Formats: sequence, structure tokens, C-alpha cells
Amino acid sequence: MREIIVELITAFLGSLGFALLFNTRGKHLWPASLGGLLSWGVYLLMGLVTQSDPLRYLVAAAALTVYAELLARRLRTPATVFLVAGTIPLIPGGSLYRTMECALRGDHAGFSRLGINTLLLAGAIAGGILLMMPLFHVNRNNMREP
Amino acid sequence: MEPDRKLAEEFLYAALNIGERMLQCGAEVNRVEDSLRRILKAHGAQRADVFTITSSIVVTIYAPSFGVVTQTRRVLGNRFDLTRLHMLNQLSRDLCAHPQNIARIDARLEEIDRAPAYPFWAQMCIYALISGSFSIFFGGTWRDGLAAAAIGVLLKLVDALQTRARLNPFFASFSSSLIGGLLAVIAVRLTLADHADLISIGSVMLLIPGIALTNAIRDMFSGDLISGLLRFADAMLIALTVAFGFVLAGRLL
Repeated sequence: MREIIVELITAFLGSLGFALLFNTRGKHLWPASLGGLLSWGVYLLMGLVTQSDPLRYLVAAAALTVYAELLARRLRTPATVFLVAGTIPLIPGGSLYRTMECALRGDHAGFSRLGINTLLLAGAIAGGILLMMPLFHVNRNNMREP
Repeated sequence: MEPDRKLAEEFLYAALNIGERMLQCGAEVNRVEDSLRRILKAHGAQRADVFTITSSIVVTIYAPSFGVVTQTRRVLGNRFDLTRLHMLNQLSRDLCAHPQNIARIDARLEEIDRAPAYPFWAQMCIYALISGSFSIFFGGTWRDGLAAAAIGVLLKLVDALQTRARLNPFFASFSSSLIGGLLAVIAVRLTLADHADLISIGSVMLLIPGIALTNAIRDMFSGDLISGLLRFADAMLIALTVAFGFVLAGRLL
């Protein structure tokens, strides 16, 4: 239980850090940072249903996207403002790093195993975002006439 | 508005100023294309073909009154700035609703360029916050977190020096990670902290292009294959240099 609380708090603080790093200000700052808490919370909750990491990442990213798009509508700003900070706890930075570490150590088996895992996780996050986005942008991607 | 050719050229130039800034501030390729097309059509273009990749914008507009006008813009450097992105988005919405003349657009852009940024000391605290939080997030002790936060502050100083020296970005991320890795090992040797790898992970989050990797895949799946592949290659090269720096640090000590 203590672990979960520490994870949630640091996920929030980490997202707050990135929101600040990307110069988020004023009324956008707190909603953006809370996105990190939300995405990690959903990830942890999904642990009750499945042990598949990519699936948990996908659902967490999808939930975050709905949150970001609804806020974007309300505050009349691009959804990216909330999406970028909120995905931070999910970002497979550690996993990407360990993959490359294997490559440099000459551990080819580890490289391919971790590499596929990293790509799956990044793909799951992108997939979760892409799954929800079209619902909010009916007339953007689909009608690209000049 | 009945634009002749010269006016059309000048207006397109102003519109590209908006697109360039949006791209630099971290807008998706999709959004830049869409905003430019809408702005240009709202200001009298009958047809507007916009093609954008992460480092370039190409636009051709057409209307019977001024004929065909094409311009390209090479977009260099990008730093996520979500406040400016918000303002640019607001500007493009306003322009679509109420067409404006070029002088007015330039004035708004100047205002956006002057938008506030966090001062240097605050940015050092931000680096510390990120690095410290993620060190604990990935399982570090509070001592690891403190060490990671201190290393974060130093990495911001290194980053400022690198920016001033206009260092090659790959070499910059390599040297930052080397310094970060060395400091993490030293902190553990001096028994100031407990896990060198968990401290490093905190600094890795500052350096590793995780967002770029996710965005790259997003771009590809939403149909912007070229941008996606460019970002992907960029993210992979940076990740490689960051890992190289940290691994080398572990070997040296």
C-alpha cells in the first residue's frame, strides 16, 4: 500500500516537473500535472484485471487522452498541453535505456527482448492515444482536402 | 480582402511565421498543416496545399486573383513550450474567425515571442524535481532521490553551458549522461546514496527521448510517415548516446 502511495505521489511530481519544464503556466499547470496521477492510477487499477503491461499502458493512455481532450475543449487549448505531461509516468524511458545498455554490452538476446518490450510499450501508449483521438477530431484527420 | 500577388506572398510569409513557431513549440505535424490551411483559406486562398515534416514546411496557395504562390520554410531547433503553443493556437483560431492584416499578425507574433519563461534558478529546481521524483518512482530510497535531485541541478548547468557552446546535440546528450553517471557512482561510493542505477534512471528521464519515441509512433499511425520515421531515428540515436554515456561511466569507475 505504501509503495502505491509513493508511486502515485512521485508520478504526480514527475509530471508536474515536466509540465513546468515545457513552460506550462497558470490555469493549465495543475490539470496537466494531475494527468500523470490519473494515468499511473489507471495503470495500477488495471493491474487488478490483467498482468499484461502493454494492455495496461494502452488503457491508461486511452483514459488520459479522454481527460486531455475534454480539458482541451473546456479551456480552448491544444490537447497536447495535457497529454505530454500526463504520459510521462508511462513513458518507457527506463526500458529504452536498458535496451540500449544491452546493445552496448553486446548482450544481443537481452537487446532484442528488451527492445521489443520497449517498442510494445511505446506502441501501446501511442495506440491508446490514437484509439480515443478520432472521437474528438471527426473533421481533422479524416477530411484532409486542400 | 482582394489580395494581389505581392500581398499574397507577404501574407504567406506571415502565415509561415506562425506555422514555424507552432512546430518549434511542439505542435503535431497534423495540427500545423490543419491550422495553416484554415488560416490561408480564411484569408482568400481558394486552394491551400500544406506539407509539413518536423524540419520543414512547404505551402502552395492558389486563387484566381493572384495565381499560384509557393514558399518553403526550413524549421530549425525545437523546444517544447506549451504556453507559446497555446497562444499560437489562440492566434490561429482568431485569424480564422476574423481575418487580419499582416501588421496585426506580426504584432501578435511579437507578443508571443515575449511570452514569459521560467527563470534559470527555477529551471534548476525543475530538473531537480524531475530527476528526484523518478529516482524514487522507480524504487529508489529517499537518499537516492536527494542525490538524483542534486545531480539534476548540475545537469541543468551542464545543459546551459552546452547550449551556449552550441554543442552537437548527440555529443551534448552523451556528455550529460556521462557526467550524470559518474556523479551517481561517486555518490554511492561516498555512501551518500544507495543505488547508482536508480539514481541514474532519474537523470535518464531528463535526457532520454521517451516522448519523442511515443510521438514518433503516433505520427506514423496517424499517416505522417516521414515525420514519424525522422523522429524515430532521432529518438533512437539520442537513446544510444545517452546509454553509451551511462555505460561508460559505470566502466570508468
